[in-house]
Amino acid sequence: MSDVPHKHPAWPETSRSCGWGVHALSRRNVVLAGLAIASAPLLRYLPAHAAVEDVTEVAPGVFVHQGRYEVQSEANGGDIANASFVVGSEAVAVIDTSGSAKLGAELRNTIRAVTDKPIKYVINTHMHPDHVFGNAAFKQDNPEFVGHYKLARALGTRKESYLVANEQMIGAEAFAGSEIILPTLGIKEPTKLDLGDRELLLEPQPTAHTDNDLIVTDLKTNTLFLGDLLFSVHVPTIDGSIKGWLGVLDEMGQRKAARVVPGHGPKTMKLPEALEPEQRYLSAIADDVRRQIAEGKTLQQATKSAGFSEKDAWKLFDQYHVRNVTAAYAELEWE
Amino acid sequence: MTQAFNKLSRTICGVVLAASIGALTTAPAHAEKDVWPILREQAFGDRPITEEDGTVVLETPQKVEDAAIVPITVRIPPHVKDKVKSLSIFIDKNPDPKVATLTFGPAAGSGGERSFATRVRVDNFSHARAVLELEDGSLHMATKFLSAAGGCAAMQAKDPDADTAGMGKTIVRTFPPALSSNPIWSGQVMIKHPNHNGMQLDINTAKFIPARYVKEVTVERDGELVFKLDSTFSISTNPNFRFTFAKGDNNELDVSVVDTDGEKFNGSSKPQGGS
Repeated sequence: MSDVPHKHPAWPETSRSCGWGVHALSRRNVVLAGLAIASAPLLRYLPAHAAVEDVTEVAPGVFVHQGRYEVQSEANGGDIANASFVVGSEAVAVIDTSGSAKLGAELRNTIRAVTDKPIKYVINTHMHPDHVFGNAAFKQDNPEFVGHYKLARALGTRKESYLVANEQMIGAEAFAGSEIILPTLGIKEPTKLDLGDRELLLEPQPTAHTDNDLIVTDLKTNTLFLGDLLFSVHVPTIDGSIKGWLGVLDEMGQRKAARVVPGHGPKTMKLPEALEPEQRYLSAIADDVRRQIAEGKTLQQATKSAGFSEKDAWKLFDQYHVRNVTAAYAELEWE
Repeated sequence: MTQAFNKLSRTICGVVLAASIGALTTAPAHAEKDVWPILREQAFGDRPITEEDGTVVLETPQKVEDAAIVPITVRIPPHVKDKVKSLSIFIDKNPDPKVATLTFGPAAGSGGERSFATRVRVDNFSHARAVLELEDGSLHMATKFLSAAGGCAAMQAKDPDADTAGMGKTIVRTFPPALSSNPIWSGQVMIKHPNHNGMQLDINTAKFIPARYVKEVTVERDGELVFKLDSTFSISTNPNFRFTFAKGDNNELDVSVVDTDGEKFNGSSKPQGGS
């Protein structure tokens, strides 16, 4: 299939969902499945918060599931981040596994509906629970678990709080079986993984969204998986360095890509315009906070005003913005 | 091995909490028990404490957004004319509930609003308390409830490598009041220090990263003591203090810092700029 330039999504949802003669489900197919269920209730099971089974082939052999623009809850079962997989001629790589072992298992079922090739790599773009707790579902495949070389430390030290907090948020039943799996392969230098007739390029980033962000590029289709270096619609969250993040975005804006897959946002977006809202948001915080520090304002004062011009531009602003300002202030006061 | 690691990690919070109050009670680690009576007795014996009488005001965020950096401010409203002797800050359910104790000196000042602000780590839903001791020895307490549940790991640094770089850098600032007649000035101390809590596993060695935190901060104005602060790892990474002091002749601040490894750091400030 040629990679025809479209307005995003790069691969229209109404296209055939898959070129592999199998049954990956596009959003449209899920709707059809839903109708089928209505007429034949025993046909198949769809969980209430369905579902990571909803994936779209955004480029040949590249599948993306879009998470919801929500905070983890019992209602969404932790399905809030995008999760993807790439199919080569010999192997499959998963890129982020969603927020629970159950969702990971759904993703795995979806992969198995697309291909029976071995799942050789499970890559996490960074440490956050909504991207890693599905890893447990892939243990049976005995893959390499791959991440930035600082991912292991980050997960190791946060394990306890991630387990407790996420079980609380999505409920014990939905969270059952979830565990922190430390990477078996840490990436320190740009590294290629071979899936058979297609290679993934893994590039560890300096501290930005977190201190363990990894960019994954499918070289065959020039698709960039940016993890949470890119948020769209969902307000960005700073858990690393606002300065570092703005720097990474500057560098990313120079790149050419057929499409990028954000960690939170639509399935695919285009460079460089995909980056603009996030750059604007982070810059607004950095500018306001720097000015207030120079004026002798306190952290508490900054959290009441900095970056509030962005309030209407994002979902979940009220949940994360003050925290972002706090992080930015604590960093920028040392400039 | 992994199993053992799991169990170890899951019990850390409990063990440390139990250890910190273990000398006084046999309460189980995760008890919902009110620890304040114990803390209170430990710090103040049976001295009476007047609660919420307006002598001291504790300001905390309505909602804790980042449990690793929770800004708190203690204010002594201007109607309180007495000199102050000490200020103790507690967070009941933290692994070390005693956050900081300030012992005030002659340059602490009076005759205007006095305040002290810092940023703390909050391990759990907990009461935070500020107990002020006036010159006459009376104790006054303000209490707020913090709705934060971070878990020990909420105390983890965002970028541990960056936090360790440049350790000990101490910045001191002086902020003259808007009105030159105001006898109370304010200042700030920022200390670059990871304030390791000793509860963080280094997964490469499977050992705990040793606790290392700022334990003593002494602030002088023109050679006179403003306060001496004894602190714990309940203070956030890169400890940050805003405080008031009595206007002096030169208003030069000298700050000395000691951490738990015995290392000393210094900083100073003149009214027209940082050090």
